[in-house]
Amino acid sequence: MVQLVGSLRKELADSLSTCKVLVVGAGGIGCELLKNLVLTGFKNIEVIDLDTIDVSNLNRQFLFQKKHVGKSKAQVAKESALQFCPSANITAYHDSIMNPDYNVEFFRKFMLVMNALDNRAARNHVNRMCLAADIPLIESGTAGYLGQVTVIKKGMTECYECQPKPTQKTFPGCTIRNTPSEPIHCIVWAKYLFNQLFGEEDADQEVSPDTADPEAAWNPEETAARATASEKDGDIKRISTKEWARSTGYDPCQTLQQDDIMYLLTMDKLWKKRKAPTPLDWQQLENSMCPQEETPVSGLKDQQVLGVWGYCQLFQHSVETLRSQLQEKGEGAELAWDKDDPPAMDFVTAAANLRMHIFSMNMKSRFDVKSMAGNIIPAIATTNAVIAGLIVLEGLKILSGELESCRTLQASCFLSCKHLSPLRLHI
Amino acid sequence: MIDMIEREDPVISEEEAAQYDRQIRLWGLDAQKRLRGSRVLLAGLGGLGAEVAKNLILAGVKGLTLLDHEQVSEESCRAQFLVPVTAQGQNRAQASLERAQNLNPMVEVHADTDRIEDKPDDFFLQFDAVCLTGCSRDLMVRVDQLCSQRNIRVFCGDVYGYYGYMFCNLGQEHNYVEEKPKVVKPTGDSNDGPEAKKARVDPNETTMVKKTASFCTLKEALEVDWTTEKAKASLKRTPVDYFLLHVMLKFRTDKGRDPDPQSFAADSQLLRQIRDDVLESLAVSSDLLNDDFISYCFSEMSPVCAVMGGVLGQEVVKALSQRDAPHRNYFFFDGRKGNGMVDYFGPN
Repeated sequence: MVQLVGSLRKELADSLSTCKVLVVGAGGIGCELLKNLVLTGFKNIEVIDLDTIDVSNLNRQFLFQKKHVGKSKAQVAKESALQFCPSANITAYHDSIMNPDYNVEFFRKFMLVMNALDNRAARNHVNRMCLAADIPLIESGTAGYLGQVTVIKKGMTECYECQPKPTQKTFPGCTIRNTPSEPIHCIVWAKYLFNQLFGEEDADQEVSPDTADPEAAWNPEETAARATASEKDGDIKRISTKEWARSTGYDPCQTLQQDDIMYLLTMDKLWKKRKAPTPLDWQQLENSMCPQEETPVSGLKDQQVLGVWGYCQLFQHSVETLRSQLQEKGEGAELAWDKDDPPAMDFVTAAANLRMHIFSMNMKSRFDVKSMAGNIIPAIATTNAVIAGLIVLEGLKILSGELESCRTLQASCFLSCKHLSPLRLHI
Repeated sequence: MIDMIEREDPVISEEEAAQYDRQIRLWGLDAQKRLRGSRVLLAGLGGLGAEVAKNLILAGVKGLTLLDHEQVSEESCRAQFLVPVTAQGQNRAQASLERAQNLNPMVEVHADTDRIEDKPDDFFLQFDAVCLTGCSRDLMVRVDQLCSQRNIRVFCGDVYGYYGYMFCNLGQEHNYVEEKPKVVKPTGDSNDGPEAKKARVDPNETTMVKKTASFCTLKEALEVDWTTEKAKASLKRTPVDYFLLHVMLKFRTDKGRDPDPQSFAADSQLLRQIRDDVLESLAVSSDLLNDDFISYCFSEMSPVCAVMGGVLGQEVVKALSQRDAPHRNYFFFDGRKGNGMVDYFGPN
């Protein structure tokens, strides 16, 4: 005779109340998942997240309110969940799952591990731990309207790393330094420039023209010479951009937007099939500028595209601010670029746009630049809700011993038949 | 709807821009403004209702009215996350109000404790969309009738154990836009970069394509005639869930409630009987829906509520923002299989 506890068979309901599960991540998927687990009848849940709450999380991470901004996600998620289920036994860790404290022994405590992560490194790590501990893992991810849930069980399914995943897109140095053709190239260049001037210098992030560009060669001998020279990376004159920047008193405009461009123009083969860049003449711009009328802002301020002079001013202003920030920090200090740090974001917006202008591209708003520079993945509550629901349903199958019926579920049809081209999908 | 944007304050505040950032990056500022101007009625604050409420409040509608005459039972405390555990005996809408409002202080959330059956026609006319959960078939047909005549979008949805469904009627002429990648034609002086001399699809540049969809009434959708040759032929491709829905609606009409785990034996028996009666009255084979579903359609299962609430919530958002193709006109979810599907029922 079938006995039910709510919707569930009694045997299943009983096993839920005794088993221990781990939720890795308390963000978009994590909040929804915690809620589902608790309402479904799971009694022993541990949740881990290294992050703190940001205002941009509040459109979907519903266990958090404005007053919680800055606090630990795992901690607040636990407290909110206990509000509607005080009898649940929830342990929260404000920590990274990659901390060696969470060893194989730790993972063996659980009957089931569920990932609610947003980066590949952590996913790879948890995958290996679950394989080592031989614990079933439910992997998942969302981006915009798309989402996916996959069950991973040693000996029964592929693991997370079995299939090669697409690597993050990178661009060749000469594209960034000599021949940008898309806004993203200019944005990457601007981020490199930030590091060269204010942050940790990286030899792979040079911004000056690349004289060893093989494409710039006119004859085979020259190509060979350039190819071998590219080992050393053809910098012009400067030993280090940071040193040079300090010596010029951080007035890079003349050099970056005029001299360097003029140098690029001398590498004439590059411009045989491409539109050549036009150097920026600040003096001329400044003189020809008429005062701009205040146009009423009906949209987001950040979605406005300023004129060239506007970006010149933004560039100068942000350089000034960043220079003082660096000075305040003292000798040997460095700044780390952060999309949520306004002057850092202003700097990249301005520098990238000026470069776009020089290379005849339509300029982009701060809003758009931020998306690209900050690798922002658009996110909504509903996709996460659907995916978290599917995760629990797969979890129930696992706990009922129905592993064979588990499979990869994709939620794209549930929400939209539109195919979004994701910016940087880490699924 | 378009007029509404002009009447409303066109400026998005700093607070809204910061909070809605990640969704504005997905559906755009115009869509967010339309949501901001919309008022929605949500009937039924059970498991599914709570999920829909959460999703619509987070999306940033102008106002959401929670309508429910039921009282909080011991089971409701476990079923949804808006009702405090101490709220037993209180009205369900009232008890859900505080937590619902805290999800997003920028939305006007109201609680209404009346019976939906007692509401006069013009009550519904103040809303841009109406979402009915836990309602009887007759009530839904009545509300659908009067709303679709006034261009008010109607949504219905329920969760029965592992199964869930949603229906929508967006009127005879629902206009919306779809974002498609732009095909860039090469021109002499294109400003899209030095390599613009060749035509290419730039996924970063998109264009909005206008579309229209038409919907039938709930009455038409439920009263499909299965005796015609055409209908009989289509039965093979018809999701069984549609007939399951009929069974569950009949149970609700006959018993005034949904199957209760506390009376499992008696309700199972009744479900079997109703299944036989319904299939016979629709003139379809009795093999179509076997006994299997019976022990899986009790109570509202939380993860199924989450899935259905997500789909239903997103359909409301799409319809109000007039962006992206709506599900036309049913979405069924089978939580045992993990399958979801969209299908159309009604006249062509």
